[in-house]
Amino acid sequence: MTTDLRSSELSYEKPLPPVLELTKPFWDGCREGILQIQFCNICDLPWFPPAEACPRCLQDDWEWRPISGHGTVWSWIRMWQKYFPGWEPDEYPYTVALIKLEEGPYMYSTLVDIEDKDVSCDLNVEVDFGKVSDEITLPVFRPSR
Amino acid sequence: MTNQPDRSALRNLQDKTAIVGVGTTEFGSIYRDLDPERSAYELGLIAFREALKDAALKRTDVDGVIVSRLPHYGRMCEMIGLRHPRFVNVLPGEGRQSGIALQYAALAVANGMADVVACIYGNNGRSAGARYGGENRGISTQAMFEAPYGMTSPGAVTSMMFRRHQYRYDTTTEPLGHLAISNRANAALNPNAVMQRPITMDDYHGARYIAEPLCLFDYCLINDGGVCFIVTSAERARDLKHTPVLIHATSQASDITPVYVADDFWHEPMSQIADDLFTHSDVQRDDLAFAQLYDNFTPTMLFTLEGMGFCEPGEGGDWITPERIGLRGELPLNTGGGHTSESYMQGWALHVEAVRQLRQECGDRQVDDAQYGLYACAAPLATGHILKRDNS
Repeated sequence: MTTDLRSSELSYEKPLPPVLELTKPFWDGCREGILQIQFCNICDLPWFPPAEACPRCLQDDWEWRPISGHGTVWSWIRMWQKYFPGWEPDEYPYTVALIKLEEGPYMYSTLVDIEDKDVSCDLNVEVDFGKVSDEITLPVFRPSR
Repeated sequence: MTNQPDRSALRNLQDKTAIVGVGTTEFGSIYRDLDPERSAYELGLIAFREALKDAALKRTDVDGVIVSRLPHYGRMCEMIGLRHPRFVNVLPGEGRQSGIALQYAALAVANGMADVVACIYGNNGRSAGARYGGENRGISTQAMFEAPYGMTSPGAVTSMMFRRHQYRYDTTTEPLGHLAISNRANAALNPNAVMQRPITMDDYHGARYIAEPLCLFDYCLINDGGVCFIVTSAERARDLKHTPVLIHATSQASDITPVYVADDFWHEPMSQIADDLFTHSDVQRDDLAFAQLYDNFTPTMLFTLEGMGFCEPGEGGDWITPERIGLRGELPLNTGGGHTSESYMQGWALHVEAVRQLRQECGDRQVDDAQYGLYACAAPLATGHILKRDNS
């Protein structure tokens, strides 16, 4: 289920990722509610963040494959320092989590539908999606149901 | 791993080279005097001048230059009038490179590529407004997959690792407080340190969070400065002014991943380094008079102590006590005040402090019987050395 993370469609000031030829399928997938990462067609290794070749085979014979969307919280922090524009004063501290995907790779993200006091390392989570612009929908994670 | 390399070859470098001159800029006075025109090269130049004077070498004795955080060796060579260097290298401005600079210098000298190598570092980060976070340009992984969540800064990834350590081992922030307080107590005895006012555990626990669970006192300073150390052969060193500080053992290991953090808190690379240092040298942990541990953030010291076997994984929190790590303790840490209190010179000033301790020049903060000292930096690219006061 995709929710809109913006308070209004005109007010989103937080950093937006540039979309590259390499990363476009990732963002296209997110917009459709599908989390996908690259897999090597030769050795089946998955990897993230995107790269031009399999880090094991070094070949560019790979494809984007949907993944389970399941993972665990490897760790998490509450960010108090104001490094970026776009976070309103009442949004501090905000939560950043490092998710260990079931398939192996790690992904920085944030957590939704949970209060900080209930967050713990190794918490089981599943992907959800948050729309932040017409082009970009961010994968976010919620406690597994 | 297959095909384990024969790391005993590291023994070939043992005691072959020495640090014979060290120099730094002032740290405290220029912290309070921002200057947008202060260049990193100028700071490097001042440190080089001090190191030459310290070594009682002539400018023309230097035939090799390694620069770090300075964008180009050429500009530095121009500024110090070195027209025909035999060996140059440029290392990026990241902390893990300070130990690597010393390794390259030692390798170059030991193998005849240069006789006297000056390793020069200049950092005008404070005057230039460096924030070490908030980068959001270009097509880096950071810009594409971290900044959209507000994830940024080396401190935040270290905080991620520390939170994980807390979860795995029930570690509290108390030992981090001990490290920060000890650093500050040592800095109070260091006239050149930026931060000299002692802090208490109440101060530590009352400090504002930056990336929780880490707070202000867990973080390195951001300040301007320059550092230089000069390396030559042990043989030549014995004809110079000071008691040589020999590069007794050195090692590099790594764990390079897309997310910086390591599930084992860098135990694998740090234990590899400890193995290299203590197996392929004559020195054991008990022989060390001090350790200068890379402290971009206080948890890095805890990870280093565990990884290098001063205690078992997970026991760092109990091992770190004021009695043990203080100047009269069993392993004095960061005797000059470290990055959190003396100066954030990305490991470079830690090397200088090690040399000055081994030369017994440290006045009120001098540790006893300084014969061997450790430098270590835990990071995705990790280094360690044992430095030795030459008694021959």
